[in-house]
Amino acid sequence: MADKRDNSGLRAAARSAARNVGRPRTTESGYASLSTLLNLVRTGVATTRQELERHSELGRAVVSDRLSTLVKLGLLEEGRLGEAAGGRAPRHMQFRAATGSVEVAVIDRSSIAAGIADLSGSLLMEHHEAFDITAGGEALVERLTTLFEWMRNERSELGSVWGIGLALPGPVAQSGEFGISSPVLQAIEGWTDYPFVENLMVRNRAPVWVRSVIQMMTAGEHFAGAGGNRGNLILVKLGRSLSAGVVADGKLLRGAEGASGLIGYTRLDDESLDSLAGSDAIAAAGMQGAQDAQSPFLQSVLMKNGTIDESDVGHGAQFGDAYCIELLTRCGRLIGEALAPLANLLNPDVIALGGAMAHAGDTILAAVREAVYRQAHPLVTRNLKIVTSQMGGTSGLVGAAHVVTEEIFAPRFLQGWILQGSPLRHPEFANHVDQAHSTVAVRSRETVSPPPDRRPMAGSTAGK
Amino acid sequence: MSISGLGPHGERAAPADQLTLSEAGAEAARQRRFSVALVIHTTESDWSRQNIAGIVTSLGRYSAALVEIVDCSFDANRQLAALGRLAKDKTIDAVISIPIGNVGVADAHMGLAKAGKTLVLLDNAPIGMLPRSDYASVVSADNFGLGKIAAELLAPHIPQQGAVGILGYGVDFFATHERELAFQKWFTTHRPDVRMERSKFAQPERAGATVTSLVEQFPDVSGIFCVWDVPAMAAVEQLRKQGLSLPVTTVDLGREVAEEMARGGMVRGIAAQQPYDQGSAAAIATLCALTGQKPPPWMAMAGLPVTVENVVEAFQVVWHAPATPSLIASRGGH
Repeated sequence: MADKRDNSGLRAAARSAARNVGRPRTTESGYASLSTLLNLVRTGVATTRQELERHSELGRAVVSDRLSTLVKLGLLEEGRLGEAAGGRAPRHMQFRAATGSVEVAVIDRSSIAAGIADLSGSLLMEHHEAFDITAGGEALVERLTTLFEWMRNERSELGSVWGIGLALPGPVAQSGEFGISSPVLQAIEGWTDYPFVENLMVRNRAPVWVRSVIQMMTAGEHFAGAGGNRGNLILVKLGRSLSAGVVADGKLLRGAEGASGLIGYTRLDDESLDSLAGSDAIAAAGMQGAQDAQSPFLQSVLMKNGTIDESDVGHGAQFGDAYCIELLTRCGRLIGEALAPLANLLNPDVIALGGAMAHAGDTILAAVREAVYRQAHPLVTRNLKIVTSQMGGTSGLVGAAHVVTEEIFAPRFLQGWILQGSPLRHPEFANHVDQAHSTVAVRSRETVSPPPDRRPMAGSTAGK
Repeated sequence: MSISGLGPHGERAAPADQLTLSEAGAEAARQRRFSVALVIHTTESDWSRQNIAGIVTSLGRYSAALVEIVDCSFDANRQLAALGRLAKDKTIDAVISIPIGNVGVADAHMGLAKAGKTLVLLDNAPIGMLPRSDYASVVSADNFGLGKIAAELLAPHIPQQGAVGILGYGVDFFATHERELAFQKWFTTHRPDVRMERSKFAQPERAGATVTSLVEQFPDVSGIFCVWDVPAMAAVEQLRKQGLSLPVTTVDLGREVAEEMARGGMVRGIAAQQPYDQGSAAAIATLCALTGQKPPPWMAMAGLPVTVENVVEAFQVVWHAPATPSLIASRGGH
């Protein structure tokens, strides 16, 4: 039914276009115009017919026909009346963000986060929990699928899942035209042979886009956090490994191998920054301070919990423990010294500190500031803001939601599915599901399967 | 008990009992005599009464006063109205609030920070709210840990290949979601033989009707977990009316549920919060923030596993009061 409607709309659009000299006449141009108009409305650049005609340079009849098709496809709807400028008040078109949903997950070495967002990339639900990544890929797929299904059930007002955004630790090398193919996961020991992404794709029946955690966090911070959607941002993740994500002139840098930002490998006095200021180094120094009774706070934590981790050192600093403050100041200074050359190179608007250690009060922040301001060019630091990310682990989820929505609606990918009404019917995704099915044995779990009406199939191939 | 859950933004919990006001902060607080308002989902539960007691006691020690308590009666609209009014109230320095729901109440809470008020949240930060810019701290029970405890306490009562019923809260509420997710995770990991059937109630008083339809639909359910004590007791009463007896575990050591357990009723285990201590920590966090001492963004209190064996001792710890005579009587048998 949908196809019939769509084809008639396109034929009409093509007839209309034919009357416009100089306008393209092919079906391909129909896809292109639909895609252009949808993205103009979705991003809020143009929402009235007049604005759409002006921005798209399409004729009135084409715009009218394409909007009618997009409404029939369920992607747009008529919204509020705008202000009249002499004639009739224009009607704004609006994007139907709840038509579909996006599932997002951030996998770190000791925790996972999962969330669900609408098609505008707004995160509607999130959950974080401790998870030992060495439990293996299968356990992780199982847990993520359970969490996703639970969230879908809680957010039943949202349509089916159109895409999954996955942030994984370490570099993620990409291949494939639309980036939904399965990357090699080099950073996770023992996972190189496990078809993790394929499993996730098959179990959840949605295309998966993968980036490194730092890149997803940077995207989130850029769109909704300290980056403030300004052009140039460096986000530094303070964890076991120290990594940096870069937004330059509004674009997220990924690097030739998807491995940009591995600043922890920087050598300082013949030792890597990771081994001097990473969270393992902080935890080890904290343990020493507890055992030597240099830190009363850490000593009490050790007696209570039997162990010390980096967050204990952070809490010690927040509660005024002198040993913890001195330790974090030293680490912050080293991190600042590694960041100063980056600041000189990129001249960012903002440097934001993220990751677990960033929330350890302002001790690290103050030391980073001091080192960067001392070693960077005055012009670079004149308007530079160095702040703590307030988004915490949420930044990766928000970033993943934005990355997926941008990929789903990227003009070239969009043109592959727009007339089908859902990216799940994109031929590229169908191919990937076929390939994934051939490599993955899917275990069905009847007790947790969501109702079938909430799980539209990815074209004819998804259910194979 | 250690904290097993993570914060609303994935934060590791800072131990709430370690937060103290510095000497300079205490002096500043005494001089400035702060006025604080509390916006709470209900004042009718034992949890709320204990939480309020913890808040007023700790505020009072530093010459601060709890000048208003808004009982929202689980109504998000009532909370929105109260927050809007408090944002404009020049006599209020800070607000302690437990958000009712999620995205729907985020803007109203953010309005407090914009109006220059200090905001400390109990249990939950609505989606979109960020620490420091929108609120000073979330002071919470370890809700994930509470769900785990409730699962551990129910598991021995469930036969192999049995089924458990979960009574979830049908409102988008972080704390109850965390409990439920942890409960399910524990059973999936440790008792994969057990099937879980879930049903949700929209209001606590509807939990009786919800459990009725659950056991009618799944008659093989051999135990129930309910996400907090008030609806758990509504479910227990309803099961009793139907002549059924099922082991029940829940969260919060309220009087009624404690006595039900002590007299050998259906309640077999309770994951207890420490609402008095939580309220006290929230008050200290508020005073820290008001005097320029930044509290950690997420502080949590560990849960206590309570059975008939330790209900008297746990009651004293949680309530900061002697146990009731009926609880004491239950101790005689042990």
